[in-house]
Amino acid sequence: MTILLKVEDLSRSFGGLIVASNISLALESGDRAALIGPNGAGKTTFINLVTGSLAPSSGRIELAGKDITRAASVERVRLGLVRSFQVSRVFREMAVRDHVALAILQREGKSGRMFGDPWKIAAVASEAPAILEELGLAVVAHEPVSQIAYGQQRLLELAIALVLRPKVLLLDEPAAGVPRGEARRIEQALARLPSDIAVLMIEHDIDLVFRFARRVIVLAAGRIICEGPPAAVAADPHVREVYLGSYANGSRSV
Amino acid sequence: MTSASIADSVKEKKTTALSSDLIGTLAIAVLGGAAYVVFPDDLGLLTRILAAAFFVLSLCLVTGICGIATLGHAVMYGAGAYAAGYFCVQGLTDPIALIVVGAMAGAVMGAVSGAIILRTSGLPQLVLSIALVQLMHAAANKASSITGGSDGLIGISPAPVLGLFAFDFYGRTAYLFGLVLLVCVFAVLQRLVRSPFGLLCRGIMQDRVRVAAMGVSVYPVLIRMYTISGAVAGIGGALIAIATGVVGLDSVSFAWSAEALVMLVLGGASSLYGALIGTVVFMTFEHFVSAASPFHWLAIVGALLIAVVLFLPKGLQSFPARFLVKLRGGRRDHSS
Amino acid sequence: MQTAFGIALDALAYGMVLFIISIGLSVMLGLMRVVNLAHGAFAMVGGYFASYVTGQLGFGYGVAIAIAVVMSIVVLFPLEVLLYRRIYAASELTQVLMTIGITFVVIGLMNYAFGPTMKMIAVPDLISGPVDLGIRSVPAHRLFVIVCGVVIASGLWFMMEKTTFGIKLRATVDNPAMAAALGVRTEWIYASTFALAVALGAFGGVVGAEILPIEPYYALRYMVTFLVVVSIGGAGSILGALVASLGLGLIDTVGKYFIPNLGEFFFYFAVVIIVLVFPKGLLGRAHA
Repeated sequence: MTILLKVEDLSRSFGGLIVASNISLALESGDRAALIGPNGAGKTTFINLVTGSLAPSSGRIELAGKDITRAASVERVRLGLVRSFQVSRVFREMAVRDHVALAILQREGKSGRMFGDPWKIAAVASEAPAILEELGLAVVAHEPVSQIAYGQQRLLELAIALVLRPKVLLLDEPAAGVPRGEARRIEQALARLPSDIAVLMIEHDIDLVFRFARRVIVLAAGRIICEGPPAAVAADPHVREVYLGSYANGSRSV
Repeated sequence: MTSASIADSVKEKKTTALSSDLIGTLAIAVLGGAAYVVFPDDLGLLTRILAAAFFVLSLCLVTGICGIATLGHAVMYGAGAYAAGYFCVQGLTDPIALIVVGAMAGAVMGAVSGAIILRTSGLPQLVLSIALVQLMHAAANKASSITGGSDGLIGISPAPVLGLFAFDFYGRTAYLFGLVLLVCVFAVLQRLVRSPFGLLCRGIMQDRVRVAAMGVSVYPVLIRMYTISGAVAGIGGALIAIATGVVGLDSVSFAWSAEALVMLVLGGASSLYGALIGTVVFMTFEHFVSAASPFHWLAIVGALLIAVVLFLPKGLQSFPARFLVKLRGGRRDHSS
Repeated sequence: MQTAFGIALDALAYGMVLFIISIGLSVMLGLMRVVNLAHGAFAMVGGYFASYVTGQLGFGYGVAIAIAVVMSIVVLFPLEVLLYRRIYAASELTQVLMTIGITFVVIGLMNYAFGPTMKMIAVPDLISGPVDLGIRSVPAHRLFVIVCGVVIASGLWFMMEKTTFGIKLRATVDNPAMAAALGVRTEWIYASTFALAVALGAFGGVVGAEILPIEPYYALRYMVTFLVVVSIGGAGSILGALVASLGLGLIDTVGKYFIPNLGEFFFYFAVVIIVLVFPKGLLGRAHA
């Protein structure tokens, strides 16, 4: 297995407040990992550090063997490190299909073309309908985002991320705020993600985490406190203490 | 539905968009031609409307398509007007060459001012745009050996268009020359806003962070649009220089920039048609009401502006647009 | 030496006028996040009322100031309820358009009501003549304006730091939702701040009329100047607005004196540089 994302001793502090402390982890091709931890554990900070919207105080990040610690965040995206957002960030007044078209155009380096119909470009015409259909979005392809359900917006986030052909996909709570029925659709989509990419998901819904992930990483107070297969993590007394207390008492989500 | 037909339904529809573009462009040509026949005594006003239309279309590109609020857009219009005027006085009298000069000057000014104001956003951006137009206004006033200062740049007398159509006292040639230019530029801009680049710019307007997360460097994209916008504004400036034979300091002023924004929003900021409708309505009313009483004019425009902001955020163009939707049977064209 | 003193005094007085008028705009921008291009119209309304009260009605200067401030609040306050409230959370573009619209309407209506002429506000003898300071005699009005500026600045500082209203206001600036949860009636805070902004604008319009004359297009002519002061000072910062006003007053006055034709160029060149270096203003907090 090739290592796609390698994070070494990543740290970040604001003044005296340490929000990420010596985080090291590696994601391999085909990895399905989940990053969990209580609120304020530093999960979103970690994503921001990896994607480059926040600069680390120290540490090193490699993407497919290339040092990207100092690379601009758009450069990281172009190299294959793609993220989705915790709260859907899609263009409210733009048709669903145009989102996907734009992402494909950008990937192909054709988003700067000033003439011609985006839908006449081969990559768009062949890929966009396929991905929209696969995610069940074909029926709303012409609707603006403001007219579709929230669950569909999350699927659209996923569609955008996928057509960018990521090597590493960071999913920030892909099912947050989605009603159960629609969440199933998202889960099906997650199960069908391309097998060669590495996926790291941040999620609060523990059921979903345990169904999706083959590896769970627990973050607390900015450091990794436990890492391993879901069952082992759930059984770890330290984790139960800091994080899964309420889960152990029978509550479904934390 | 089979998967092939679903794929088709996702892709279809743009063919009609192309033909509606053609109809729209033709409609502008026909209406412009009709105005020439019906109002032969008002060609001066009509030509000024044409020049303003270029200016407001140019503003539409950055404000309506990219979402940048600017109160200093006249730097580009003024650059085009002064450049065309200056070159004409210096002996380059071919009108088409002068239009090219105006477009280039506007584009350069667009790139330079864009590079400055796009470094920030929000209030600082607004203030920078104002400061730049005031700066250029003061510079144009000071450099009177080139610009004529507060007396204006005079003595612009262009040669006949293509060596055949001389500029006449009634302004017939000037108007028709401007109309042909406008129809051409409008057709080009329609294609531009529907192109991948146009799609990208609309994405930037709605969520810059999202676009960046797709791997887009936003700043260069916006500078590119600013440069194009500058060229369009520059054409408008060059046209007014050629048509009226004089360039005044008001062509590079805060007031003219603010008026353009008002025209754009009255018509509907996110649509090229809205830009044209707003320009025609504003300039026509201004001509008649403002002459009678400038203060009544201000009060009316002000009230109209407030009403549009409150009740008609997509501007006057949303009336016909709604009507067309009903005609077509309710299928909304959201991507245009 | 004498000239330098004169220029410095002129610059100080001009800067103080800018401060008195702009500080209301700054407070509104800091609290309600509204880019209010109609703030110059507030000052203009004050000036028109004061001119009417001194000219047509024959009252004294002090009375005129009081009536002008009160009447401006009475006339303009409905705008808060009817219009401004709807744009507090809107984009800058929407705010700009709405407040340009308000400015146009105010200019149209004021000139319809009071006539489109230059408005004189008669100042009493006490502050119209020269005053001997020992080193040299200076125009009393300049000193009057400077004193007004100092009083307003310290009064506002006291209000912000020492009164309950000031505490509630600052809490609302920091976190409106939290302030509301703690029982602060934020709507009332917004309305009071609006009234305060109108009052300061109107007061500044009247006492500054010798330096920024009240005329039909006053609201448009100085629209940009006030916005620039606030943007450079930093939204909501009293000290920032004071520094920006005095600094820009100095740059403008010195520029106009030494390089008369390029004074404006000089001024806006400085503005571009300052905004590029300090996009949030010299002393501003982050502005969304």
